[in-house]
Amino acid sequence: MYAAWTVKHKPKSPAEIVGNPSALKTLSDWLQSWSKGIPKKRAAFLYGSPGVGKTVSVEVLARDLHMELVEKNASDYRTEDAINRFAGLASQYSSLFGGQRIVLLDELDGLMGNADKGGVKAITNVVKTARCPVVLIANNAYDPRFRTLRSYCRLIDFKKPIASSIAKRLQHICEREGIQADENALKFLAQRSGGDVRSAVNDLQALAQGKKHLTYKDVSWLAYRDRQESIFNVLRMIVYGRTAYGAKQAVDMADMDLDMLFEWIYENAPAHITDPHDLVQAMDALAMADVYRGRIRASQDWSYLRYVIDFMTAGVALARQNSKVSGWIPFKFPSRIMMLSRSKAQRALLKRIGLKIRRKCHISAARASKEVLPYLRIIFKNNVHMAAGIAKWLDLDEEMVEYIVGTKAKAGKITAFLP
Amino acid sequence: MSFEMWAEKYRPKSLGAMANQKTIVERLISFVKARNVPHCIFAGPPGTGKTTAALCLARDLYGEGYREHLMELNASDERGINVVRETIKTFARSRSIGEIPFKILILDEADNMTSDAQQALRRTMERYTETCRFIMCANYSGKIIEPIQSRCAPFRFTFLPREEHDNYIKHIAECENVQLLPDGVDAIFEVCGGDLRRGINSLQGAASMNKPVDAKLVYSVAGKASPSDVQKMLTTAINGDFLGARKQLRDMLQKYGVAGVDIIRQVHREIFKTEIPERLKIKLAGITGEVDFRLVEGSDEEVQLSALLAKLVEAGYEMKKLS
Repeated sequence: MYAAWTVKHKPKSPAEIVGNPSALKTLSDWLQSWSKGIPKKRAAFLYGSPGVGKTVSVEVLARDLHMELVEKNASDYRTEDAINRFAGLASQYSSLFGGQRIVLLDELDGLMGNADKGGVKAITNVVKTARCPVVLIANNAYDPRFRTLRSYCRLIDFKKPIASSIAKRLQHICEREGIQADENALKFLAQRSGGDVRSAVNDLQALAQGKKHLTYKDVSWLAYRDRQESIFNVLRMIVYGRTAYGAKQAVDMADMDLDMLFEWIYENAPAHITDPHDLVQAMDALAMADVYRGRIRASQDWSYLRYVIDFMTAGVALARQNSKVSGWIPFKFPSRIMMLSRSKAQRALLKRIGLKIRRKCHISAARASKEVLPYLRIIFKNNVHMAAGIAKWLDLDEEMVEYIVGTKAKAGKITAFLP
Repeated sequence: MSFEMWAEKYRPKSLGAMANQKTIVERLISFVKARNVPHCIFAGPPGTGKTTAALCLARDLYGEGYREHLMELNASDERGINVVRETIKTFARSRSIGEIPFKILILDEADNMTSDAQQALRRTMERYTETCRFIMCANYSGKIIEPIQSRCAPFRFTFLPREEHDNYIKHIAECENVQLLPDGVDAIFEVCGGDLRRGINSLQGAASMNKPVDAKLVYSVAGKASPSDVQKMLTTAINGDFLGARKQLRDMLQKYGVAGVDIIRQVHREIFKTEIPERLKIKLAGITGEVDFRLVEGSDEEVQLSALLAKLVEAGYEMKKLS
């Protein structure tokens, strides 16, 4: 059954929370102080960027201290009724079961988005007279609209946990899921999250669920994913643009370098510009853009960049004459980039083989892989003895033999002859 | 049968043993006798003996310890200016110990050097002439800058004539106890066109199957050695599936490492065999030429070739409208 790992592996005890030990301690001390009577500040205001563990800290401490947590999201108390209900909860001393109660108001930023100034004022009034601990959570406590509210609250800053702590947590989750994960794969995810533990766990699940082993290769392509959302709008401006000017504008909106944008357009334009004549125009424009890229490389004269832009944006946009907008075709990640990064290890191996051949055959590594390797493949597949002799002569290791012959079994037969 | 690459095993070890390029070899032998070698350019197609001649020259000149006086660099792998500034300069400036006062630097595939690196090389060649002589091997001497060409003695290597090629291949087959049928020899020449390295590799590939080497076997080896299925890709495009054709192109380039120029030349041959209106063929040939030129200039292989695929999609569409 599918369960989000952010829920399934939510911390159950304070020890499981990633980072922020001092914030946790402050919050815990303040909650416990309620047992000795109402403290000076009746509300705690937790703030910090998304996914650093604000909400989960409250949940874990409530469980730990046997307090009942009454939780409200910002979206729930926009109406006056809801505020009143919140006021009612906060005005009681204890919960039905006699224990202490915590009233949590999460996502206060959301409230602000609705320009509900009256709401903040009402909350402030409730806090002033609260008879049980009120916990407020927002990304930014220093929003001017919280100024008055802030002065009635104990402010607790949640910082972004460092990457190595996040990686450790991910490792823990992998162990529970029975996944063997490479250390640098988890480090990559942790670093990429920028301190957002929740997103790191989400990414881990998306990439690792159902796998036995998670490698660096599995995660590294994510680096490109982040910018996907904004790129869709840019692509739409180009592929469905009606004016040269509009299409050219798109370049400024794209938050990526020009080569990457080129790849996106090159990957997606043909699926959207389908009429054969239009297709020829569009691909010609991209080819011309590429020619100018080459001229920039050759001359180091970057003033040609304007022509690259003209062709790859306006050139593609105005290719559309007869192509119909046929249904909704999603934009795809440039797959040749993915292929390139996936086969990076393989290309490195190919290069090493090339260098081995070069040492013996007086031919560049680049040409060796094109001119000698195909024949090695044939020989290795057909003649174990000759293959073993050549492998020894070229000083190939097992990995290389396996790459050349294609399967582990066949490679084993060949390497059996090696010393 | 011996178990190393035959192309290396049967590489001649001395100028006297070289069967081909007679006039060139004679001049090189005269250099050895005079114990003086000028800077040289060995230009010519692959597999015609450029590197072999350079290695033989060095061996004949210095004797068995020739390795100490020789550096072999490959410009395809080390083509940047830094190689010239560091590796080459360091080697060229140090004095040789021994009776011959200069060393030899073989710069293979020199036409792949950037023009910056070539400019830097030109000064190095001039400055250290006394301590180092350069032999530049290249497919096209035209890609070597004029000032370097003018400092070198040029040698033009040509494809082996049919007879020399056949003798060489037959000689190896004999030494390796390979049963080589006459139509097998024909096929090897047909497939390799006088490129001896390729010819020997084809022979060894075919021989590895432990069957008599006949034409059929040679062609099947040649087919496997170049997995580019250009014909299939063209048909996909003409049938209107651009994305499918581009995928096939991408696989050829990335998975099998086929060179873009090899694909474009095969495309050029295939165009005339394909069923498209006659007038389109010549138009497409013109476009192939343009793409070929752009690739040599250094444009992106897939982008340029897929623009050509789009044209084939259009051609297929036009044809359908006519019928």
